[in-house]
Amino acid sequence: MELQAATDRRRALAAVLRDVSAECGPSLRVLSGQAERRAYETDALTAHRVLPGLVLLPADRSQVAPIVRACLRHGVPYVARGAGTGLSGGALPAESGVVIALAKLNRILDVDPDRMVAIVEPGATNLSISAVAGEFGLYYAPDPSSQVVCTIGGNVAENSGGAHCLKYGFTSHHVLAVETVLPDGTVTVLGSDDIEAPCYDAPGYDLRGVFVGAEGTCGVATRIAVRLLRRPEAVRTLVADFPDVPSACETVSAVIAAGIVPAAIEMMDNLAIRACEDAVHAGYDRAAAASLIIELDGHGEECAELFDQVSALCSEHACTRLRIAADEAERAAIWAGRKAAFAAMGRLSPEFLLQDGVVPRTRLAEALAGIADLSAAAGLRVANVFHAGDGNLHPLVLYREADGEGPAAEKLAADIAELCVALGGSLSGEHGIGVDKACSMPKMFSPADLTAMDRLRAAFDPSGLCNPGKVFPTPALCGEAKAGAYQPHPLEETGKIQRW
Amino acid sequence: MVGAPSSASTPDGKSAPNGTSPADGAAAASEPPASPRSITPTTVKDLRDAVSTVGAVLIRGTGTATTWGAPVRDARTTVSLAGMDRVLDHRPADMTVHVQGGIRLDVLQAELAEHGQWLPYDPARSEATIGGLLATGDAGPRRLAYGSLRELVIGATMVFPDGAIAKSGGHVIKNVAGYDLAKLCHGSLGTLGVVAELVLRVHPLPATSRTVMVRDVDTASAQRLTWALTKSAIEPSAVEWCEPEQVLAVRFDGTADGAAARAAAARSMLTGSLAELDAGEAHSFWESHAARVVAEPGDTVMRAATRPGVDPGLVGALSAWADRAGVKALLTCSPATGAYTVRVTGADAKAHAELVKNWRASVEAVGGFVMLRRRRPGVDAMVESWGRAPGSVEVMRRVKGNFDPENRFAPGRFAPWF
Ligand SMILES: Cc1cc2nc3c(=O)[nH]c(=O)nc-3n(C[C@H](O)[C@H](O)[C@H](O)COP(=O)(O)OP(=O)(O)OC[C@H]3O[C@@H](n4cnc5c(N)ncnc54)[C@H](O)[C@@H]3O)c2cc1C
Repeated sequence: MELQAATDRRRALAAVLRDVSAECGPSLRVLSGQAERRAYETDALTAHRVLPGLVLLPADRSQVAPIVRACLRHGVPYVARGAGTGLSGGALPAESGVVIALAKLNRILDVDPDRMVAIVEPGATNLSISAVAGEFGLYYAPDPSSQVVCTIGGNVAENSGGAHCLKYGFTSHHVLAVETVLPDGTVTVLGSDDIEAPCYDAPGYDLRGVFVGAEGTCGVATRIAVRLLRRPEAVRTLVADFPDVPSACETVSAVIAAGIVPAAIEMMDNLAIRACEDAVHAGYDRAAAASLIIELDGHGEECAELFDQVSALCSEHACTRLRIAADEAERAAIWAGRKAAFAAMGRLSPEFLLQDGVVPRTRLAEALAGIADLSAAAGLRVANVFHAGDGNLHPLVLYREADGEGPAAEKLAADIAELCVALGGSLSGEHGIGVDKACSMPKMFSPADLTAMDRLRAAFDPSGLCNPGKVFPTPALCGEAKAGAYQPHPLEETGKIQRW
Repeated sequence: MVGAPSSASTPDGKSAPNGTSPADGAAAASEPPASPRSITPTTVKDLRDAVSTVGAVLIRGTGTATTWGAPVRDARTTVSLAGMDRVLDHRPADMTVHVQGGIRLDVLQAELAEHGQWLPYDPARSEATIGGLLATGDAGPRRLAYGSLRELVIGATMVFPDGAIAKSGGHVIKNVAGYDLAKLCHGSLGTLGVVAELVLRVHPLPATSRTVMVRDVDTASAQRLTWALTKSAIEPSAVEWCEPEQVLAVRFDGTADGAAARAAAARSMLTGSLAELDAGEAHSFWESHAARVVAEPGDTVMRAATRPGVDPGLVGALSAWADRAGVKALLTCSPATGAYTVRVTGADAKAHAELVKNWRASVEAVGGFVMLRRRRPGVDAMVESWGRAPGSVEVMRRVKGNFDPENRFAPGRFAPWF
């Protein structure tokens, strides 16, 4: 039986290869050797690895539909892949499946500075859009820390966020239309019909809204129309230190409750502050129990007025030191410190697990106290560097595999994610469910919720071949639940991208 | 015309009378009543029982959009959300509010205002229910700055035709766990499920709102000024242009000094006959703007969307076709987001239908669409409520088939597409 199945899978893959080669010609790059395929066996959640059967790199977006159709014809599962920086195993291949790697489809096709819209291919990096739009004083707002390398296709799939999404919203708010090769092999624009003339409105169900954040399970994006924003006139940034974590959390709540919407509010606890300062010397106070980085932007005078209010609120909440960036250089230094957190963590611990839970913003103090308790009970350190303004935690569970701490760390990480759900929050704020948190989905959603979602998925993908095994808990996955140590993306090690 | 408009059981524009729940749900299900009935549940469970019936179901909020899209055929049961009109949990410090789907937007805004907050969302129909507004995918002028309801909903509880009660999202403003069922229902016009509850992200109420008005702005200038405004640093919250009046209205929300400074900056940037409206004038301008969008029974209202901009070709075509048909076409346009609402008055149904047909062809030629929100009686027999089907209509059909295999929820609403 086993043998037969393996033979069938090989035959099916060979048939896919034959069909796509015939239809796409030699410009379609094919990686079939084991060593070549190995580079695609994991994304940035490196604990999960599956060797794909075949890796295809389209040289032209017209080659994507024939690939999807061939997979459908021969019953072969496939997954789209951007830069492979996903942190939830979204781009993990299926066994003997096909990887459609979109890195070569990386052109910015059009920037319309009046309409403030760009049309891009899925493999374009997030930052490359802003680089081109920058010529017109415009930029693409969502700013994941991985933006130098992660692709807009991956951002669309994960509905990615970033520090400045507190004010400007997530990927979903900035995507007007997505040209998609649907799992039935047809090419359809979700959102307004003509991708080259994208509209804000489209009639009927908001399928573009469903596709964004569906983690690559509803088809493969081949062109994306995004909104661009004008660069704000003024930007003001401060670092506020606090004698304890609750004071910092209360300050976050106070700023929000005062009706101020900063561009970003980031928080670091003492472990993170010390690690960053030792690594980068950004001028943080190593003695501070917690620090906030708060940035406001907008029209000059208004920005200044609100910035003064924020400074005052920090002082009212026992802030021990308020450092206001005097110029662009100091502002850059403050952010560099924040973003150096990853390199710094490497000094603290050989291994760590990263969580991505969200809690209501008024429950931050409670969540951090709960994490501290869980951490003490497990005898493992947890560092916190996160998007406080929108309640999106990024606890880092530090451990040593060599000391046999792996299983305890995995349990602690899962407990933290579920603590967030118990506090009325979510398993994931921006990294996605993928395979990583699929088994925790029943903690957040009822069987009826999951059934409704699965129905929606089936409307897009009745064959179940498009990125199977993600988002939803499956017996195969959750029966043998496993998680693992985070290992850095190669570009992180070179310091090109940061983790948060 | 097939069947009677399903709103027949309740007068248009009034909330449904407190319908009696069927004495025996099971009996009702096996033996459908002959005449349309109205049910007004007060809990999600009652709502589930109400939709778990046989025959076609029309979901009703305040009844302000029963005419949007194609008419619903043979509705046997009207489920009114009038009894599900409460705020369940407002967390001012979190800036979130959890409401039942039947709460009216104006009621919600009044409640939020007590805490210095609002839902930054200004559709013309402020008396509509929040669930209805999601289902109609409606948006007002300030979408430019704040997005539409799809951007403000962070959690939803839906009741589907099979009686399944399903949630997505939650109470946190950032969340990527699971599919987004609220977005699915945005624009669904009651054909997929009932929006039983929503969790919304609210914003601080701006201290001030100011409106600058420019007169004698022709189409080309409207487009040019819009680009200049949206690309400047003055961050307008709305830019609206009206035809035939040819006025451009620009709105600023913010702190007292900030909004004033930006309005002043706009005045120095714009040219022509300029005025900053006082609070009373601004209020009445935006009221009359909303009234044009809503229109009156007997009018035909077209809603069109194109890529951003106000297309001189389309505006010219509208007035030319209107002249030819002998009708009056009153346009409001959000040039920065490419949304047009046209109120058609005068002449007869044939003239209205002719205008819809002709202008729709012009709009579709530039990649846009036109749907009918209202029409003069008789128009339906001559022109479809929806135009050319989008490429994604096949997926919509499959979604509809998976959630409502018996086609019970608002059958006919998307005719002739599905
Ligand atoms: C150092 C580091 C920092 C990070 N910081 C952030 C952050 O600040 N905020 C944040 O939100 N995330 C962050 N991430 C996570 C990750 O970068 C994002 O999820 C990103 O959007 C993934 O893009 P990618 O191109 O690498 O996609 P991949 O990892 O290749 O794929 C991700 C998912 O997208 C799907 N996909 C890719 N392309 C397509 C397509 N064209 N059509 C359909 N589906 C597609 C894949 O199938 C997969 O499910 C970080 C990751 C790292 C390693």
